Amino acid sequence: MSDVEPIPAASCVLITGGSRGLGLELVRDTLRRGAKVATFSRSITPELQALADEQPDTLFVGSVDITDDAAVKQFIKDASAKLGPIDSLVNNAAIGQDSMHVHTSPDRIAQIVTTNLTAPLVLTRQFIRHAMAKAGRGRIVMVTSVGAQRGYSGLVTYAATKGGLDSAMRTLAREMHGRFLVNSVAPGFFASEMSSVLGNEQLSAISRRTPSGRMVTPENIAPVVGSLLFDDTNLNGQVITVDGGSSI
Amino acid sequence: MSTLSRDQVRTMMGEVLATQGKELPADDSTRLDTIGFRSLDFSELALRVEDELDTELNFDAPQLRSIETVSDVLDFVEQLQQA
Repeated sequence: MSDVEPIPAASCVLITGGSRGLGLELVRDTLRRGAKVATFSRSITPELQALADEQPDTLFVGSVDITDDAAVKQFIKDASAKLGPIDSLVNNAAIGQDSMHVHTSPDRIAQIVTTNLTAPLVLTRQFIRHAMAKAGRGRIVMVTSVGAQRGYSGLVTYAATKGGLDSAMRTLAREMHGRFLVNSVAPGFFASEMSSVLGNEQLSAISRRTPSGRMVTPENIAPVVGSLLFDDTNLNGQVITVDGGSSI
Repeated sequence: MSTLSRDQVRTMMGEVLATQGKELPADDSTRLDTIGFRSLDFSELALRVEDELDTELNFDAPQLRSIETVSDVLDFVEQLQQA
């Protein structure tokens, strides 16, 4: 028998990059499940602002660059003053890549590493310091990528950052023994983002090669993140890949 | 930097234990393993102290490994505040 109680379901969640796409869907889904949400991104979209206007007591939004440590720290203070202690974190904000490594400038490599790896690590530290002092226990979800597990051309630095987050996730899960459940959700490629660089014929070919027959959507990812935030699954230190089976 | 007294830190240590339904015994020579005060509980205590002092108290893990009793915890927090 263990004397450690299950880590409670999330009650107030910080979701980074919640203004559009998957981040916005995660904000909507988390609110639907009854938790409060704090989210920031570089700019607030009309969709996110509309949601904040509808739910001013449960959703706190801000315009913050994740690489600005001081601004992120202030956002956590402001959000918790409005919503109460934040007990869970979804590290979702990231920038993409679509360039061969040999043609990616050192400055761009540094920018991707700073945004996708250094900033989430610093934010996670800040979040844990807040949550340990104010809430005691909580849950952390890293949104990573199937690109961290399989080789895809054009994603060298992006894949490195997502693999780095997966590694940090496992170590944190052990380090935060009994205090935080820490997991990653690794989506496959979204039809929407692929469609910006591929034609319909190529998209159809990719869908045919995916065992489930279709590419993933944000609506596929949200329930998995939701389960990690709210259910008593005892999942810890794991990467859950949601890609229709394309990587098997 | 202002500092917290040994008694204040002791009270905070009791609060950390109380959130888990545990009690801090009066005897400072009590071993931490007998009251279930683990390394992350120490981290929580340090964060509470930081909050009061409005400054960070960073330290390396090896320094924590020699802490065995309630008194060791109070000594260590004292040292951190003086560093």
